[in-house]
Amino acid sequence: MKSDTASFRVALIGNPNTGKSSLFNALTGLKQRVGNYSGVTVEKKIGKWDLGNGQSVELIDLPGTYSLSAKSIDERIAVDVLSGHMEGQPAPDLVIVVVDVENLQRNLFLASQAAELDVPMVIALNCWDVAERKGLKIDCKLLEQRLGVPVVPTIANRRRGADELNAAVCAALQSRPKMIRPAWPAPVKESLALLRTELVEKNGEALKDGELIRLLFDKNSAVRSRLKTPTEQVAIITQTARESLRKGGFNPDAAESLLRFRFLNPLLLDIIERQANLKQRSRSEGIDQILLHRFWGLCVFVGMMYVVFQSVYTWAGPFMGLIEGATGWLQGLASATLANTPVLQSLVVDGMIGGVGAFIVFLPQILILFLFIALLEETGYMARAAFLMDKLFQWCGLNGKSFVPLLSSYACAIPGIMATRTISDPKARMITILIAPLMSCSARLPVYLLLIGAFVEPLYGPAVAGAALFAMHFVGALLAAPLAWLLNRTLNKGRTPHPFVMELPPYRVPRVKSLLWRMYESGKDFVIRAGTVIFAMTVIIWALLYFPRPAELKEEVASQHSNETPAEVGQYIDAAYLEQSYMGRFGKFVQPVFAPAGYDWKITVGVLASFPAREVIISTLGITYALGGEVDEESKDLRDAFKNAKWESGPRMGEPVYNLAVALSIMVFFALCMQCGATLAVIAKELNWGWALASFCGLTIIAWLAAVAVYQTTIHLI
Amino acid sequence: MLYIETRSHSIMQLSQIKKDGKFRVTKVNADNESVACLMSLGLLPGQEIRLTHEAPLGDPIAVSFEGCHISLRRCDAGEVEVEAV
Repeated sequence: MKSDTASFRVALIGNPNTGKSSLFNALTGLKQRVGNYSGVTVEKKIGKWDLGNGQSVELIDLPGTYSLSAKSIDERIAVDVLSGHMEGQPAPDLVIVVVDVENLQRNLFLASQAAELDVPMVIALNCWDVAERKGLKIDCKLLEQRLGVPVVPTIANRRRGADELNAAVCAALQSRPKMIRPAWPAPVKESLALLRTELVEKNGEALKDGELIRLLFDKNSAVRSRLKTPTEQVAIITQTARESLRKGGFNPDAAESLLRFRFLNPLLLDIIERQANLKQRSRSEGIDQILLHRFWGLCVFVGMMYVVFQSVYTWAGPFMGLIEGATGWLQGLASATLANTPVLQSLVVDGMIGGVGAFIVFLPQILILFLFIALLEETGYMARAAFLMDKLFQWCGLNGKSFVPLLSSYACAIPGIMATRTISDPKARMITILIAPLMSCSARLPVYLLLIGAFVEPLYGPAVAGAALFAMHFVGALLAAPLAWLLNRTLNKGRTPHPFVMELPPYRVPRVKSLLWRMYESGKDFVIRAGTVIFAMTVIIWALLYFPRPAELKEEVASQHSNETPAEVGQYIDAAYLEQSYMGRFGKFVQPVFAPAGYDWKITVGVLASFPAREVIISTLGITYALGGEVDEESKDLRDAFKNAKWESGPRMGEPVYNLAVALSIMVFFALCMQCGATLAVIAKELNWGWALASFCGLTIIAWLAAVAVYQTTIHLI
Repeated sequence: MLYIETRSHSIMQLSQIKKDGKFRVTKVNADNESVACLMSLGLLPGQEIRLTHEAPLGDPIAVSFEGCHISLRRCDAGEVEVEAV
C-alpha cells in the first residue's frame, strides 16, 4: 500500500460517445499533456487531477473503445495500459469506467472485460441528466451492491458529480474494490488452465488471468505480440486451447459475448426503471428521418460541406490577410532597423520573419476547420456524413470518414491531414493522409491563374480558361483515386479490412467550451510541432537563395544599367544575385532533368525554390525576370515577361520559352508535386519522417512524369 | 461449426431486410470481424433488430437494436441471419 496519493495512477476508460473526454477535461482542466504512445499514432492524454488536501493523481485517458478484444490499436493500448505492459509502467492503481446510462448493458460489457485484468474499479454513470429527461431511473445503490464497486452518477459536461467521484476515488484507492466476474463454465476454465500451464508455467510468461482470457477469446489478440515465446508456438498453444473450447460446445469467437451478456443481464434486472416518456430517443430518430434520407439527407450534406469548405476557403481569407499584413509590417520594421547589416537584415526579414509567417498564416484555416469538425463530431453528424459517403470510398479501401479530411484538403492539406485523426482505421487514415496533398489546395490557385491568364485565355477565350481552371482542380483527385487503390493493395496485403461498424450516436447540443478547447488544442499542436520544422526549412531555402553574394557583381550590374532608375537597377541586381546564388547554380545544374518538361533554368529555379511553399514561385519568377519579388498572379509585367522570354542557350536558342505546352506542364507539376514544407512536417508528425519522405519523393516523381507526359503530348499536338 | 443457431424458419440475411417490420437475430457468423464487433455490442441470437436507414448509394445500412443505432456495410450484414417477428 502506497502512503502518498501523488504516486497513484488512475486510468479512464469507456465506450466512444459516453462523454469520457468531457469528464477527463472536467477533472484535469488545463493540467494535461498530450503525446503519442511509442510506435503508434494513438494520442496519449495524461492529466493531473487534484483530489484536494494537496493530493493529486495521474489520470490517463485511454482511447474510447467498445471492447478489449485488442483488434484495433486503441483496444490494444487499453489492454496494455490496464495490464501494466505499456512502456514499462505498472498497471494503474484504479480504473474509472465511464458508462453511458442509456446503454448500461453494453457499456458494462467493457467494464466486465476490464474487471478481468484485476484492477480496482469505480464506475461513473455519465449523462445522468439526459437519462432523467428521458424518464430513465437507475437504482445506483442496488447496482453498486450487485457489481461490488462504487457507482457514481455524473454529468461530465456540466462538471456535476465531480466531487462525489473525487470522494469515491479517494476511498477506492484505499479499499481497492473489484467488480464481480462471471463464473466461467467448465470448458472455458479448462482452456484457460491449458493456456496457463503452457504459457505461464512452462514458458515463464508474465500473464495475468485477464490476459489469458484475451488470448483465448480473441482470434488474433495483440497480447500475442508481446510474448517472448516464439510466434508459431503461441499460435499452436492458443489454437489448441480454442479447439478444446470448441469441443466443449462453445464457439471461441462468440463465447465471450454470449457468456458475458448472459452474466450481465440478470445483474441489471430491476435496476433500470423505464418510464413511458422516451421523447429524446425519438427526437434523434426524427432528425435522422431527414438527415439520413436518401434525397434530402444528401441535399443537407452537400449544403453543409459547402459551408465547411467555403468557410475554410473564404472566411479564413481576411485573417490570413491580417497575418500577412502583420508579417509585412514587421518585415518593414526589421528591414529599416537592420539596414546597416544587409546579411542580418535579409536573414531576419526574409528568413526568420518570413519563415514564421509562412506557417502562422495557416492557423486561421486550421482553427476554422477544427471548429467545424468539433461541431460535426459533438453534434453527432460526423458519423452520419461518413454513413452517407461510405460507398464512394469502399472500393479503394477507405471509408466514409475520409470525406471531410479530403474535402478540407481542397482548401489546405494541413488542416485536412490533421482532420484524419477522426478516422479510426489506421490504414485508411494513413492512405487518406498520403493522398490528401493531391487535392488542389488554395496555394495552387495563383499559379493556375497566372499561367491560364497568360497562355490559355488569350488563345482560347475566357470560357475555355474557366474550364481549364476547373479541370486543374480535379487533376490531383483523378490521380488520388487509383493511388489510394494501389496503396490499399500494397499496405493491406493479406490483412482483413478493419471492420467498418460505426455507432450513429444520438444528436447532442455541443458545448461552446469544448469546441473552443479543441480549436485551441489543434492550433497549439500545429504551431509547436509543425512550425519548428517549417521555420527551419524556410531559413535553409533563404540561405540557398541568398549566398554567395560577391560585392563586385552589384557594381558590375549597376554599371551595365547606369541610365535606369535606382529601383530598376535594384531589381536587376537582385536578379543577378539570384542567378549566381547556390539555388540559381543548382537550378542551372538540374535544368536538364526538367528539360523534357520544357523548363528553362529560370522555371527550374522557381520550381526548386517553391519546394517549401508552392506560392513562392511567383515572387521567385518576379525576381529572376528583374521585376522584383512583389509581383502577383495578376501582374501584367510578369505575363509580358513570360511572353518575351527566349531560350538563352541550347538547341532552342532564340525560341520562346513559354507556350501552352509549358504552361500546362508547369500547372500539372504544381497540381501533383508536394511543394509544401508545412504539409511535409504535418505528415511527419501524424505518421513519421519515413512516410513524409516517401510521400515527398513519390509525389515529386509522379509530378515530373505527368509534367513530361503533358508537355510532350501537347507540344506534338499544337 | 462456426455458426451459432437458435432456430430456423423464414430465415433471411440482415442485408435483405426491409424498413417495415421487426426482426430477430437467429444466427451470427462470429468469424467475421465486423460481426464480432457487433456481438460485443449485444447483437446476439435472440436479439430484436430493425432497419432504420439505407445510405443514398444503397450501402451501408443503419440498424437499431437495444438502444444502439449502428451503421454497417451490406457485406457484413450478410453474415447475420434474422427472421421476421
